[in-house]
Amino acid sequence: MSFADELLRYPERRYIMFGGKGGLGKTSFSAATAYYLAKKGKKVLVFSVDPQASLSDIFERDIFGKGNVEIMPNLFACEVDADRRIRDYQEEIRKKIMDMYGMKKIPEEIESYIKASSAEPAMEESAIFDAVVDIIVEGGFDYYIYDLVPLGHALYYLSMASIYDAWLEKITQLREQMREYDKAIATMKREEVTEEDQIYKELLYIKNRIGTSSKIMTDKEKTAFFFVITPERMTIADTEKAATLFRRYNVPIAGYLVNRVIDKGLLERDIPDYLRNRILSQDEAMKEIKDRFGDQVIATVPEFDSEIKGLESIRRLAEAMFEESLR
Amino acid sequence: MGDKKGKKKRSGGILGFLRDFTYGMATHGMARHALKTRSSMEHLFILITMGDMLGIPILPPYYSLRLLPYVVPQITTWKRRMLREKDFVDSLY
Repeated sequence: MSFADELLRYPERRYIMFGGKGGLGKTSFSAATAYYLAKKGKKVLVFSVDPQASLSDIFERDIFGKGNVEIMPNLFACEVDADRRIRDYQEEIRKKIMDMYGMKKIPEEIESYIKASSAEPAMEESAIFDAVVDIIVEGGFDYYIYDLVPLGHALYYLSMASIYDAWLEKITQLREQMREYDKAIATMKREEVTEEDQIYKELLYIKNRIGTSSKIMTDKEKTAFFFVITPERMTIADTEKAATLFRRYNVPIAGYLVNRVIDKGLLERDIPDYLRNRILSQDEAMKEIKDRFGDQVIATVPEFDSEIKGLESIRRLAEAMFEESLR
Repeated sequence: MGDKKGKKKRSGGILGFLRDFTYGMATHGMARHALKTRSSMEHLFILITMGDMLGIPILPPYYSLRLLPYVVPQITTWKRRMLREKDFVDSLY
């Protein structure tokens, strides 16, 4: 099956994600897929939460923290500035506290708690995934292509999501119990329970956010997760491990794309040993890929003679990935 | 609703008065107990959402920040209570 078929086979499909080790071409593939879909008349948003800002590089435009930027007709790109998001969020909490209690200044112990929170390692991941929920809830696009953070982060988040869920379940229950007590006390004292429990409302909101973000990654109908690999033993082994973990968290893996395959035809020519050996070892690895992933390999993309940068080279990559001319 | 019930019961002469009296006595104790439990729960709740203020690692700081504004007034009493108990586990219930 070709990549184009796999991509367009499901009309419900809206979220496309590329995962894989760093530096294998996730961003190039994200950009090329976005390019292809945009050329097919679909409105596409390709977004990244990586602070290293690789979409800015590939599109040769500074889009970091600038919202949805139109790259060409139907193709929009967005790079989330996670740090700024955390700062804005903390500021929002401060403002809320000051408004609620008419304070001019945040009490010191509260302030230090807010400050310390940004040092927590989970803070960034949570902020990132919360940003992703924002992007998706906002809507307006036919396809969302998520240039995923390296595998570790995604796995970390997925496992966090289930722990978050259990945690929330517990505190929501506690909150409900507290509410029961409030009611009982009010009845005994013959009073009316008037005020709404704001915390309970917040808890439901948080639950909904976490639910949405983990659903985006695990929705069988709407989401397709593609692994990018290269014909190298180590990549194959690592990807297989990652795929097993992803499957455990019910991430729908839709296929594997092999990048950077050097043309075997070169062997017929007079080439240096260095290149000959590379080609032979890639050939071995390709056999292994075929053994392990079989027909789940849905595209094989050649090694290009230059870096993928700018729309012209993105088009060439898309043509190779989708096996059709896109001029 | 509570008032109506009260009026009905009170209309029963001396027997009704006695019934009302014992009811009131019992309820008062219950209400006190309920209030105490309720405040323990409040403190337990803050502990499991904001525990890192006392150095107890708590899972998701991103979302607990959302709850912070609502517990600001209780933070001081909560901290005092948590740190006063000989064994803070006692204070959970």
